[in-house]
Amino acid sequence: MIVTPRIVARLAAIGLLAVLLQLSFFSRVELFHVSPDVLPALVACIGLLGGSMAGAVSGFAIGFFLDCLLVEALGVTSLVLLGTGYLAGLFRERFEIHSSLVPPLLCMGFTLLAELGYGAAELLLGLDAPISILIVRDMLLKSVYAFFLGWPIYLGLRRVLRPALVEEPRVRRRRQPTVLGA
Amino acid sequence: MYRKQVRRRRAVLALLIVSSFVLLTLTYQGSSGLQRGVSTIFSPVQSVTDRALKPARDLVGWFDKTFDARGENSRLKDELATARLKAVAGEEALQENAQLRKLLSLNEDPVFAYSAYESVTGRVIGRSPTSWRSSVTIDLGSGDGVRVDDPVVSGDGLVGRISAVEPGSSQVMLLTDHASSVAAKVVPPGVQGAIEPEVGNPEVLILNFIDSTRRVHAGQDVVTSGWRAQGIGSHFPPGLPLGEVTKASVVEQEANQKVDVRPFADLRNLDIVQVLTGGSRE
Repeated sequence: MIVTPRIVARLAAIGLLAVLLQLSFFSRVELFHVSPDVLPALVACIGLLGGSMAGAVSGFAIGFFLDCLLVEALGVTSLVLLGTGYLAGLFRERFEIHSSLVPPLLCMGFTLLAELGYGAAELLLGLDAPISILIVRDMLLKSVYAFFLGWPIYLGLRRVLRPALVEEPRVRRRRQPTVLGA
Repeated sequence: MYRKQVRRRRAVLALLIVSSFVLLTLTYQGSSGLQRGVSTIFSPVQSVTDRALKPARDLVGWFDKTFDARGENSRLKDELATARLKAVAGEEALQENAQLRKLLSLNEDPVFAYSAYESVTGRVIGRSPTSWRSSVTIDLGSGDGVRVDDPVVSGDGLVGRISAVEPGSSQVMLLTDHASSVAAKVVPPGVQGAIEPEVGNPEVLILNFIDSTRRVHAGQDVVTSGWRAQGIGSHFPPGLPLGEVTKASVVEQEANQKVDVRPFADLRNLDIVQVLTGGSRE
């Protein structure tokens, strides 16, 4: 990713809007008793488009902003999302995205990973209450929602960040020559 | 050139990880000036966003509720029958209570045992996205008289307590948060215990550490006990409705000294809440 002040401003605006949408909309609607979490999917998409550094820095900033607005302990969400963004970026740097199914599948996987990360962080910080098996259902459903939301997020981000993206030129399919009058 | 790039990348990553741990340490030490600043600037924006997105939330909520409506209908019918029986019993209890109070010349209305508190009404403006935490942000802050540990109620009963306060917003730790514990008692038998959550299951609370020699039955109500002894006491006033006992097997009560409770308040769909300020500092 070619980082210019304009691109940084665009990424900041996207992060801000996403956090506000998450807090005021996605966290407060439920489908089958589970709310979607779009932030890991967003950070994963930034990593997939911009690489590991863009993913890690965006994840850290988005996590920090979220914790500030929720008046939560700072650092936990930053750590989880920076890991998510970095790993997504590493994937982009090591492998090619050949199929259009790859970004949503990765969003699904990284959302599950982020949920596991939150769980690990909470366990490390001290979790006194018993854990219900229903949390597994929550994590899986959140990942499924991320699969469906991942594709529009990826496409939207690619459109907004297009000037900064370093993309392989597409190989154009050659047309079969046609014989006039045939 | 490539090595230099890799080194720089690793340095940035290390810096971000260290920063996360520093932030975590600073939070637990209590200095959160930066958080206060960001929260103060953005809580009005959050409030506006919340109001603007309410119709969209309601639309999604309508779809979700339509799926649930079938099962809900038969459950509500059963609940109505139980409530009718309770209402009759409650009417009798109220008459008896009024007579007893007359005899004792008590002036305070027992229903408003927490009248020492002043209530401030606020709106939920954010909710934690992960299932591991159960907290909401409200648009009331220290400027509205809200302090840490103030009880928070909805129309149905207790929902939690204030766990952090900023000038324009506060964090409410819900009853379903893993760090939450509320001293409670079952009425009418008066069995005391502590209401604790089961992480990941917002529909069930556990009434723990109960006296195993006294029986608790499904359908009995659970309220805050509001104990106070030797200068220390519960953060919650007595008599706030908490929930209803749903599962109370003899084995669970004897072996683990616990029963399952369904919270009265719909903790997943909170919109308007009241913070009871002032009481705990008296």
